[in-house]
Amino acid sequence: MIAVSYPLNKILTGLARAHVTREKLSDAELAGHDLSDAERSALLAGDIRRLYDLGANPYLIRRVFRPRFPI
Amino acid sequence: MAEIVAAALAAHAPLITGKPEIARPEQRERLYAGFHEMRRRLAAARPDLLVMFVNDHLQNFPYSNLPAFCVGLVDAYDAPSPGGSTLMRIPPRKIPGAPTWGMALLEAGLAGGFDFAYSYEIESWDELSVPLHFLNPDGDIPVATVYTNCAAPPLPTLRRCHEMGAFVGRFARSHRGASRVAFVATGGISHWVGTPETGRINPEWDHWVIDHIERGDVEPLLRLTWDEIERDGGNGGQEIRNWVALMGAVPGWKGESLAYEPVPEWITGCGTVWVHA
Repeated sequence: MIAVSYPLNKILTGLARAHVTREKLSDAELAGHDLSDAERSALLAGDIRRLYDLGANPYLIRRVFRPRFPI
Repeated sequence: MAEIVAAALAAHAPLITGKPEIARPEQRERLYAGFHEMRRRLAAARPDLLVMFVNDHLQNFPYSNLPAFCVGLVDAYDAPSPGGSTLMRIPPRKIPGAPTWGMALLEAGLAGGFDFAYSYEIESWDELSVPLHFLNPDGDIPVATVYTNCAAPPLPTLRRCHEMGAFVGRFARSHRGASRVAFVATGGISHWVGTPETGRINPEWDHWVIDHIERGDVEPLLRLTWDEIERDGGNGGQEIRNWVALMGAVPGWKGESLAYEPVPEWITGCGTVWVHA
């Protein structure tokens, strides 16, 4: 079964469409989103590997957390 | 009735045009030469319609609405939009769509067992804008699109993509809305984008894919699972669904590799393959 987190992909889609790029997200940006504790901490840390493991789409991870990618 | 006059496969990546200067010059020029040769052959074939097998990258279809297969009914594609123009460094322009042809395909699909989704509004990114920059520089050939979900798994199987392409091929031959149809599929080959392995390219797998296309031996490609492609071709490698869809549209045709370059700076195994009878 492929890991897919709709809450993660929903928040990342909104940020990507607003052309937001971040090293990590803030509490304010997470407000109103129904996220698990693990998802919340991964977003706040900008932990791109953990986000991937939790079921965030890699294309969205890259668009939002672009500064985290050396290439 | 229409004649299928050409078919071609090409990688897409925004950096191919967006940051040409960061690639090694010899790699860039060999790949550009492949695109230019493809353009020369395509122009010589004089198509009156380009049918493109492509995929979105979550710009158009979000997780609230994800079609496996979607026919574009767009009047004119931004290829690119003003926003995309900045990223891809291609002047913004409009390329005519083929909504009447697309609607006929949609209806034929629904009647014939392919329940396509459809969309009247698609923002084109590198899946159309980059290859069309090379292949349709004057923007005078109308474009019909079939989008396949290659980016937000679970994805349709490669066999189903091939069957879908075969359906589109049969439709294109039988429909009178165009007389000289060219098929173009974009995407692949191996690339890892946004995953923990971002930047990886697997030339060995890319050559394996191209070799099978060149021999017209697509059956091993159709047996590939999502896991196998993810392992060997990366999440970007899932886009070979578009390639096998095109191979379904031109049964018996074989590929001829025009250029292949694994370009680390563009984080993509970049191929251009001409497909012929």
